[in-house]
Amino acid sequence: MNVQLTESSPAAPVQRVNYWKIVSRNRVALLGILMIAVAVIVALFAPLIARYDPKSSEGISSSDVYNPPSAKHWLGTDDVGKDIFTNFVYGTRVSLIVGFFASFISIVIGGIIGLMAGFYGGRVENFLMRFTDIMLVIPDLPLIVVIVALTKASLMNIIFVIGIFGWTTTARIVRSQTLAVKSRKFVLRAKAIGAGNWHIVIHHILPLVLPIMVVNAILVVSSAILSESTLAFIGLSDPTAISWGQMLNFAFSRGAMSVGAWWALVVPGFGIVWIVLALTLLGNGLEQILNPRLESHHLMPGRPSFQSEAEAAPVKTGKSTAPVLLDVQNLSVNYVSDGKVAQAVRNVSFQLHEGELIGLVGESGCGKTTLMMALTRLLPAAGEISNGHVIFHGKDLAALTDEELSNLRWSGISVVFQGAMNALNPVRTVGDQIEEAILKHIPHFPPKALSARVEELLDLVGISAEHKNHFPHQYSGGMRQRAIIAMALSCNPQVVIADEPTTALDVMIQAQILELLDELRKKLGLAVLFVTHDLGIVAEMCDSVLVMYGGVTAEYADVDTIYNAPRHPYTQELLKAFPDLTKPERRLTSIPGSPPKLDALPPGCRFAPRCPVAFERCSKEAPALHRLGENHLASCHLVEA
Amino acid sequence: MTSEFILEVKGLKKYFQAGSSGWFSKNGKQVHAVDDIHLQLKHGEVIALVGESGCGKSTLALTLLGLEEATAGQILFNGQDVTHLADKEKKEMRRKIQMVFQDPYESLNPTQTIQEIVVEPLVVHGIGANETERLERTKKALEDSGLKPAETYLNRFPHQLSGGQRQRVVIASALALEPQLLVADEPVSMLDVSIRAEIINLLAELQKTRGISVIFITHDLGTVGFFADRVAVMYLGRIVEIGGMNDVLKNTKHPYSQALLSVIPVPNPRLRRKRIILQGETPNPVNLPSGCRFHPRCPIAEEKCKQQDPHLFNLNATHQAACLLLENYQ
Repeated sequence: MNVQLTESSPAAPVQRVNYWKIVSRNRVALLGILMIAVAVIVALFAPLIARYDPKSSEGISSSDVYNPPSAKHWLGTDDVGKDIFTNFVYGTRVSLIVGFFASFISIVIGGIIGLMAGFYGGRVENFLMRFTDIMLVIPDLPLIVVIVALTKASLMNIIFVIGIFGWTTTARIVRSQTLAVKSRKFVLRAKAIGAGNWHIVIHHILPLVLPIMVVNAILVVSSAILSESTLAFIGLSDPTAISWGQMLNFAFSRGAMSVGAWWALVVPGFGIVWIVLALTLLGNGLEQILNPRLESHHLMPGRPSFQSEAEAAPVKTGKSTAPVLLDVQNLSVNYVSDGKVAQAVRNVSFQLHEGELIGLVGESGCGKTTLMMALTRLLPAAGEISNGHVIFHGKDLAALTDEELSNLRWSGISVVFQGAMNALNPVRTVGDQIEEAILKHIPHFPPKALSARVEELLDLVGISAEHKNHFPHQYSGGMRQRAIIAMALSCNPQVVIADEPTTALDVMIQAQILELLDELRKKLGLAVLFVTHDLGIVAEMCDSVLVMYGGVTAEYADVDTIYNAPRHPYTQELLKAFPDLTKPERRLTSIPGSPPKLDALPPGCRFAPRCPVAFERCSKEAPALHRLGENHLASCHLVEA
Repeated sequence: MTSEFILEVKGLKKYFQAGSSGWFSKNGKQVHAVDDIHLQLKHGEVIALVGESGCGKSTLALTLLGLEEATAGQILFNGQDVTHLADKEKKEMRRKIQMVFQDPYESLNPTQTIQEIVVEPLVVHGIGANETERLERTKKALEDSGLKPAETYLNRFPHQLSGGQRQRVVIASALALEPQLLVADEPVSMLDVSIRAEIINLLAELQKTRGISVIFITHDLGTVGFFADRVAVMYLGRIVEIGGMNDVLKNTKHPYSQALLSVIPVPNPRLRRKRIILQGETPNPVNLPSGCRFHPRCPIAEEKCKQQDPHLFNLNATHQAACLLLENYQ
């Protein structure tokens, strides 16, 4: 059996996500939780905290009315001489009870309606969502006022009425989340297994809708508390239960303003603000936790920070007699996060000659993209060029200021990113976006010539001028990729770096794009660095190949040598894993294991743990890059002369 | 009950409404996703289905599994008509036909543990007398899929596994039901090249030891060359060429198959083949071209191709192609 377990050895079983740990790291959520906890404790232990019995009027005389705060009454007294602190503490109970029970009703109704509408779709959805829309349009507060006024204003009634009017936002949020989850592949897989609707909703949809429902529930609680306060303020409250709104109502209607008894207003107001603020903070905090994308990550120019690293003489590559355009010398890139340093690229050198096409290959996680980003200093914030030079026309790109560099990007070196075709702005025409790209880099481009230039560029990539004023959604995937290439060529670069430019495209479209790139290269004399994992494309297009593994150069040679006389075991294994249409009988083999984690590199050769021919020395000593021919380099102990 | 074929597809069609049809709009346009497919699959046979996106290969798979309702035509499974089944029978059928999806990152529920994922089909179908028996079956399915020892994986979550390991979990959960037919929809296209071979080899191994039939949907024929017995090339909802692996690869007859095969990159720099690059993109399956649906892009189309819609012509006992220019072949 040729089936082996080939990935990293399993670690100890991991427990479920520790939610408390995540929440406790978010300060906003934590503050909200603490504030709510205070309110809950006050409500639970009201009889212990309050100093008087709120229902008893014992020992109250007319002189006690609207007394300011004192030792006897910490927060003063109200219009009938009762202790405001006591009322405040008991009022917490009512607010929390109404908030939690009313929102419970809302969440259950909204959750069921949202789930059903999202899951069943069609007529069910149409009916339920139109009903929800109608409920949303009805101004609910006046209606609640009318209903509470017509029925008895008991605590039960108030909870119930607020509850059945507060579910509309929940229904809409739950529905859209259900729709999103329903279209995910694992739901289809569950259906393929034979699972019924009920099973799918309970096991696959609800667990992913629940987090959003929780966030929403918190906001529903706070709006229920506000509704209760509003009702009480206009006199619709349970006379047997003191609430903050009721305290405000009594204070207002019974002359607290005219006697200057501010404490009778500020205290219940503070209570309402406290609880609503607490819930809002918690809601925002949870949203941040559940949607980490709210925290932005930008691509920032990796600032060169040169360390005194022993600098070997940079290796020369290529036998082309054409002049060197891009000279990469001992380039190293580190990622630094949480104090840990990951060596993403180590001492990579190569020369890109005029008109040359170099293929950069390796598995994911081998440093291809990092190297490419480092060449134009578009590394993510955590990345830094720790050593080396990137010489372009006598200038070291690694040492330029940001401004100088941004002038050089596009006009000297331009990049076609992976999936860039999906990054076109959907609300602006493609022509506009190309114009913008030109103006950004050549601000004084004659405005009259601009339109002609855009048409010329589109023509260059095989898009007829009539498509200039179309929007990206009117383009097919292949055309969008062509437009991106047109943009990359807009400032006449000499070097184009293409990062997997055809990965998401069909083979026929891929062939069209590759043919286009090849034509452009010949027509414009471009030098291209082509990053890909497709060894077939490399064989068909490239002049030279740089094979990377674990951030270092494994092998470099002209394309014929790489495919017909590879010397590095990694190159050999990679070729054995790649299918060849012309040899269908050939059985493919895989490379056991996966590329090393860059922050935990093995000692010695980075490929040693997966290498079929590794011997003792490989796990101790990192191999040097040996020259095997005029244009052939490999880093392996076995090729040592 | 027993039939020579595990699966027979006769004139299968699956059309979708183009655009959304709401309460107020009635849209008559249809997407011809799968349009008149005929296919026979023997017990234990492996067929590769190739074509570009939009050719209907994935819709065909979903229709075969009953996840999409067929518009017309017939699907026979073991000689029994399974085209339109009631829910209960459909559930029974799904035990016997299982699917492996393309994207192992999307096809596992992130909130379930590996154990929950693999035991789920057993629970749904009430297989196994109790928890212990189901756990044993789960472990066996995981180990058969190369996740050894199973205990170390049971309590993990999908995000803690690599792409290759996740695809093994998907395979394990499909195998737990001991299906007779496995439909694999591009099971390796999302994986790194270096580990594709091991997933293909795993499927080949399981196919051989269990004698299951496999429909392997792919756009990369090189990967399944040694594994598949036959190949069917699809274009715009139709099979345009079908035959033994060697017939189709080395004696390609349909001009579309010729073009498609010529543009799949070959890792051999000494063999820079002549590529037949078709211009434009696959036409929209709403407004199909008249006559042969490939004629607007066909490099060798003749006048008659605009009028006449070709059916599959026999080239030899097992090799067929739908091209009018092959009508008088032999």
